[in-house]
Amino acid sequence: MNGRAASDNVVLRSLAQIGDCGLFLLTLLAAVPRSLRHARETVRQVWFIGALSLTIIMVCGLFVGMVLALQLYHVLSIFGGTAATGEVVALAVYRELGPVLTALLFAGRAGTSITAEIGLMRATDQLAAMEMMAVDPVAYVAAPRFLGGLIAMPLLACVFCATTLLGSHLVGVSWLGIDNGTFWSNMIAAVELRTDVVNGILWKSLVFGAVVSLIAVFQGYTTPPTSEGVAYATTRTVVASSIAILALDFVLTAFLM
Amino acid sequence: MSQRKSYAVGTGLFIVLGFATLAYLATQTTSVANVRLGDTYTVDVEFANVGQLKERAPVKVAGVRVGQVKSIDLAPGKEAADVKLAIDKRFDKIPEDSVATIFTSGLLGDQYVGIEFGHARKMLADGGRLALTRPAQQLEEMLGKFFGAGGAADNLGGTYTVKARFSNVGALSAGAPVKMAGVAIGSVASVQADPVKLDAVVTLAIDRKYDQIPDDSAAAVFTSGLIGSQYVAIQPGGSPDMLKDGDELVLTQSAMQLEDLIGKFLVNGSPGEKKPGTSPDASAGKQ
Amino acid sequence: MTDSARTPSDDEALVRVRGLTTVLSGKTIFDALDLDIPRGRITAIMGPSGTGKTTLLKHITGQMRGDAGEVWVDGVNVPALDRRQLFALREKIGYLFQNSALLTDFDVFENVAFPLRQHTDLPEELIRNVVLTKLQAVGLRGAAGLMPSELSGGMARRVALARAIVFDPMLILYDEPFVGLDPIALNQVLKLIRTLNQTLGLTSVLVAHELEAIKQVADHIYLIANGKVVAHGDPNAIAGDGSPWTRQFFGGEADGPVPFQYPAGDYAQALGFPGGAA
Repeated sequence: MNGRAASDNVVLRSLAQIGDCGLFLLTLLAAVPRSLRHARETVRQVWFIGALSLTIIMVCGLFVGMVLALQLYHVLSIFGGTAATGEVVALAVYRELGPVLTALLFAGRAGTSITAEIGLMRATDQLAAMEMMAVDPVAYVAAPRFLGGLIAMPLLACVFCATTLLGSHLVGVSWLGIDNGTFWSNMIAAVELRTDVVNGILWKSLVFGAVVSLIAVFQGYTTPPTSEGVAYATTRTVVASSIAILALDFVLTAFLM
Repeated sequence: MSQRKSYAVGTGLFIVLGFATLAYLATQTTSVANVRLGDTYTVDVEFANVGQLKERAPVKVAGVRVGQVKSIDLAPGKEAADVKLAIDKRFDKIPEDSVATIFTSGLLGDQYVGIEFGHARKMLADGGRLALTRPAQQLEEMLGKFFGAGGAADNLGGTYTVKARFSNVGALSAGAPVKMAGVAIGSVASVQADPVKLDAVVTLAIDRKYDQIPDDSAAAVFTSGLIGSQYVAIQPGGSPDMLKDGDELVLTQSAMQLEDLIGKFLVNGSPGEKKPGTSPDASAGKQ
Repeated sequence: MTDSARTPSDDEALVRVRGLTTVLSGKTIFDALDLDIPRGRITAIMGPSGTGKTTLLKHITGQMRGDAGEVWVDGVNVPALDRRQLFALREKIGYLFQNSALLTDFDVFENVAFPLRQHTDLPEELIRNVVLTKLQAVGLRGAAGLMPSELSGGMARRVALARAIVFDPMLILYDEPFVGLDPIALNQVLKLIRTLNQTLGLTSVLVAHELEAIKQVADHIYLIANGKVVAHGDPNAIAGDGSPWTRQFFGGEADGPVPFQYPAGDYAQALGFPGGAA
């Protein structure tokens, strides 16, 4: 902490943040067994983080699917390959767009709310009050939100992918007149369970979920207890999460594909 | 307390929904069905050329899936690929003299192994071998046969030039080959638009060796291969007079927009049918 | 260390602070502070803003650690405790935060029940009884279903008080309990502090500025300034003590040992008058 105050350099400050964040992750993981005592709180967080993000995830997924189908149809029609629309949508969404866009939306919707909530709990002494009631705030506040994000992200990514297919089907089949059977059969022939669904959707979204929740919880937990501090912390959550998601996406794609 | 109940119920619903979509994505939109196998028996096949055939590609009889390709190997020192087919036990009445062929589903689709039944009484058993095979048809070769492949003609004997007018030359450009009966006899010297007649004037440089071309021959702009470059084909006529330097070919046929043709074909055709030959056939007939 | 970690528990003082020295970002908060808080009494800690009264409470609960010195609470030296022991100690201490610090996610009932649910596996029936008893004691049994955002400042303070006493602690620390309360709410809190101390037999420590209110409840007053105890004693005696500190603080004078002017350079020079420094 002293080191951070001393260094004005942005690079050093970012490095110090990453270091603090890593240490925080260790604290968090150490608190996870204790937080199982508060399993009910984790369930509540899955509701707040996951279930309440469903609307934005589904609406965005629908539109992403629709615009993808529209664009692909026009490009593919040049080669007479419009029947491949479903296949290309599915591959693009399963492998990249699904996990990445879900994670970005998740950072914007759930990440900020986690940061703001914990930041406000810090600012209004609720965390200190828990300390005083001999309740570990890391185990009671931070860990359930982290776990909640970890559980919710892959599920949200699945829902996002499904609504994307729905959106592309709406535009491709119902509107642009691609044959329904070809749309699905081409997709089914092209998509593979392991590389696309497991490595694509599940692994990526799990990693993104962990990273975004960690950043959100960390920023909230370490924010200066002022309204200004909370405002900055939420901004930092979105910025840091977005960078982390896209950078990790590259790394994961390189490793998993 | 009722508050807490609703969280739990809502969270449960959310998780069930999430797993349901996962199950849906995993089973209904993937080829997981292709991966899952019932009891199968293995048949060995040897192909001279497997083309783009991949493992887990379908094996079909009469267009219906009966199994999949288990492995593709090339034994060292051999020129033929060893392909093992895993065929569903239910389909155990395949005659031993059946023919295995590598087909392509659609023009640009994946390849699969098709089995055409023979007439032998003896049926294939596990570890059996299909002796009769036909290798993958290389689309390029097929098209090449239709359109006639060949390099530019050698200009050793010098050339003479002939003009031809086309209402549409497509993507024809200078340097493109001029072919007769599929064999290159010269090249396109220039492609220019006529400012008065508003058509394209193509100058053909034809090798002097080929000076016995009737002057009522027709010139047409064709495309070599599906997405290949265009060339000028000369179809000899019956006139006793031969073309001379500076003559003009009167009968011309403009470029067919092959992309349009294939576009229509791809959209309308169903993927299972094999129609790649249809379109080239049509244009080849004119040659 | 084990030898000095425990002292006889029949010690008169529940909290004993010895030689506490704390420096926070270059500023000396406590300078070898000595202080005793007797059992079963209400002790008020007063002093100018920024003298570290709240910081002192945080030292007693182990939320902060001094750079030197000892803080003995019920016979254990707080700075020497590990986290587990600290949590065990805190279960015996009630703490009333300045802004009440109610958990915004829960209603009043669940806020009061929170420590019980976290530390015990009592049946729901018993939790309900305990919580309603405590809420009745602060007069808010009827507000059990409200959310913290629906409470006034005084009500929130009382809910927080109910939560602080739900485990029947031996020591309760009040951090500025009167701030921002109207006279009615202030008197309600005042009455609660007094009755709780009498009926539950606990020890209370009060950090506050309201002299009149403190005179009504406190048995003992410590006046802290510049990191030291500058005066202490009976509320009535201390006001008439006559030291410059007490005169300024209790007399409410603008200038005195606590200067009106924040330390600054020469005024005339700052305004640019030549020769100002001379």
